[in-house]
Amino acid sequence: MEKSSEIEFTPAIVGFLCNWCTYAAADLAGSSKLELPPSFTVIRVMCSSRIDHNLLLSTFFKGADGILVAGCHPGDCHYGEGNYYARRRFALLKKVMETLDLAPDRLQLSWVSAAEGKRYAEVVNEFTKKITELGPNPIKNSTRF
Amino acid sequence: MKEFEMREAGQDRKMRAKVGVYVCECGPNIGGKIDLDRILSDLSGLDDYQDVELVVKKYGFLCSVPGKEFLEEEIKSNGFTHLVIGACSPRDHDSTFMSVCSKTDLNPYLYRIINIREHCSWVIDDKEKATEKAESYLRGGIARVLRQSELFEKPLDINPDVLVIGGGIAGMEAALSLSGEDRRVFLVEKTDRLGGVSLDLSGLLPGQGFVISKKIESIMEDRNIRLFLNTRIKAVIGFLGNFEIELVSEENAETTDIMAGAIVVATGCSLSEPGVSDHFSYEASDEVYTSLSVEKMFSGDEGVKLRSGEQPSSAALIHCVGREEKNYCSGICCSYMMKLAGLFKNQSSDIQITEFYRDICLPQKDDQERYKAAEAAGVTFIRIKDISIKGTDVSFEMMNGEKSKQSFDMVVLAPALKPSADTEELADLLTVPLDEFGFFQEVHKMTNPVGTSTDGVFIVGTAHGPKGVSDSMQFARASAGQILTRLIPGEQLIPEVKVTEILEAYCTGCGNCLEVCVYGAIYSDDSRGISVVNEAVCRGCGNCFGSCPSGALRTKHFTNTQLYQEVDEALR
Repeated sequence: MEKSSEIEFTPAIVGFLCNWCTYAAADLAGSSKLELPPSFTVIRVMCSSRIDHNLLLSTFFKGADGILVAGCHPGDCHYGEGNYYARRRFALLKKVMETLDLAPDRLQLSWVSAAEGKRYAEVVNEFTKKITELGPNPIKNSTRF
Repeated sequence: MKEFEMREAGQDRKMRAKVGVYVCECGPNIGGKIDLDRILSDLSGLDDYQDVELVVKKYGFLCSVPGKEFLEEEIKSNGFTHLVIGACSPRDHDSTFMSVCSKTDLNPYLYRIINIREHCSWVIDDKEKATEKAESYLRGGIARVLRQSELFEKPLDINPDVLVIGGGIAGMEAALSLSGEDRRVFLVEKTDRLGGVSLDLSGLLPGQGFVISKKIESIMEDRNIRLFLNTRIKAVIGFLGNFEIELVSEENAETTDIMAGAIVVATGCSLSEPGVSDHFSYEASDEVYTSLSVEKMFSGDEGVKLRSGEQPSSAALIHCVGREEKNYCSGICCSYMMKLAGLFKNQSSDIQITEFYRDICLPQKDDQERYKAAEAAGVTFIRIKDISIKGTDVSFEMMNGEKSKQSFDMVVLAPALKPSADTEELADLLTVPLDEFGFFQEVHKMTNPVGTSTDGVFIVGTAHGPKGVSDSMQFARASAGQILTRLIPGEQLIPEVKVTEILEAYCTGCGNCLEVCVYGAIYSDDSRGISVVNEAVCRGCGNCFGSCPSGALRTKHFTNTQLYQEVDEALR
């Protein structure tokens, strides 16, 4: 069903959060009763480094308007250096996204520590705002790929 | 008719799934913010899964004692094949409900907690929207749990013995704390004597000489400690509970193989060499000494003398040597320089002592007294911005910009502590990373400073970073505490269950996963041409997953099937 441009666009956003830092930050944001957008869905993984290209791309194909991957700050990874690997893989995927007509901004990697509940809320709210401005994902359910 | 496959203890059988969905009200925290009755009725009528029977209920506080008893009874009486709990964060109560499952026939990995409190009721004000979101998460949970597989803990026998590397004060303390009738300690020291740097120290604490010699004596007498002097570590393989270590003697190159369950690294530190630079220009014949060589003179019978044999009538004590360049404060120099000032004054009350410092760092509770005593004894303290020496001529710039020059009989430098020479080589053998300063890297600065990324390898004393005798000993005891609670003789160890496995049929043996594994948990099986995960070492981070070009990896409990299912549900 085509959405009329008059109806306000509510993006579907998936957040892959690492268990040790950002998932804990989301808990803190929760216990601090900070307001978060209902359009944001959390999927917990043990480490941001578990997120591979295929998972991200198929999440886009399946219709996510934006994906946030968030983990521990550099140097603070529970597994030593998983977040460095995540960062490198991201840099590569952003290049691929350009070739798919997918704005690289739809994918964001953020570092949010367990103590940063407030920052978590800010990151999620700002990212949601950015994706709302970018509009619907152009390759949703695309048969081109 | 679609049926769900369940793997059970070696044989595949098909059975109808019966999923229990229990939503916790958490008092008003969830119950007051989410329309649970609507969720109950919506989920009960869910027709996504024709072959799945759903039992949906709510309860006041599921984590309470009656709540857990209720849940246990429900699982047993209903014979659930899967369980979904809608409640709080898994970080709060995942283990609580896993324990409940363990009391029943339900495998704890066929249960899932869905966080509808932190992700819904607490962060979405609009009750309608919060209810919708919670329902969506719960549907996702049901879909996800049906994709989960049973996982089983595989307890491993452990070796309670411990290898301690380094026979200084920290290593000796660790060895003595750990040795016992049911636990042997292998104490390996590269030199020909025990005691390390502490043997050269003088008057650090009352009766210190006695403390050190008493410790050495205790080690020699302890029949559960096997001492290897003039010995180095040649090779290490293994993991917590089961390490195999090859030692090599420096005297005759003979090797000895030992087995241990844990390794304590107490390799100490050394003083950095100030070296000759723009700031430090002196000849070997000049009366310029490091703090440690002065400590040595004081601990001898003759006290401190100049090369001429006379006692010095003035001495400059220069703090913070190399601090700017190293980018860390060694934290102990202020305290020991004040101790040295006191020793100089004891030797001759007329001696003129000037301490040049950038900052004074006195972290221990009795340090302040030492400072006051030094001041009372007439020691001059000068805070400087910059300093340089040419032999025993000291040029310095004070904080107000004023420059000055003084000449002394003797100059004593307090150089930064630096990692000992073998640190890098040993870090390689143990697959433990080094920090930005070259010391062994701890798991966490505050919460676990003695642990390392290689579980079972601990760092104590100054191998971890600059510290004094007392802190070194505390670190040693902290590592002993962790080892004593984790390697209990006769008991088994349960390694992480949610590990990665490599499917042999897909693996090409390219070795990418070996390269990225921080824990060295993957090895190459050359005879089969594949890579293999050592499940006892793997921690299940999943970093290897993205490196596999052939899709041979499976991260248990976070498989692709499971994660894709969650994505599908999130985007419905």
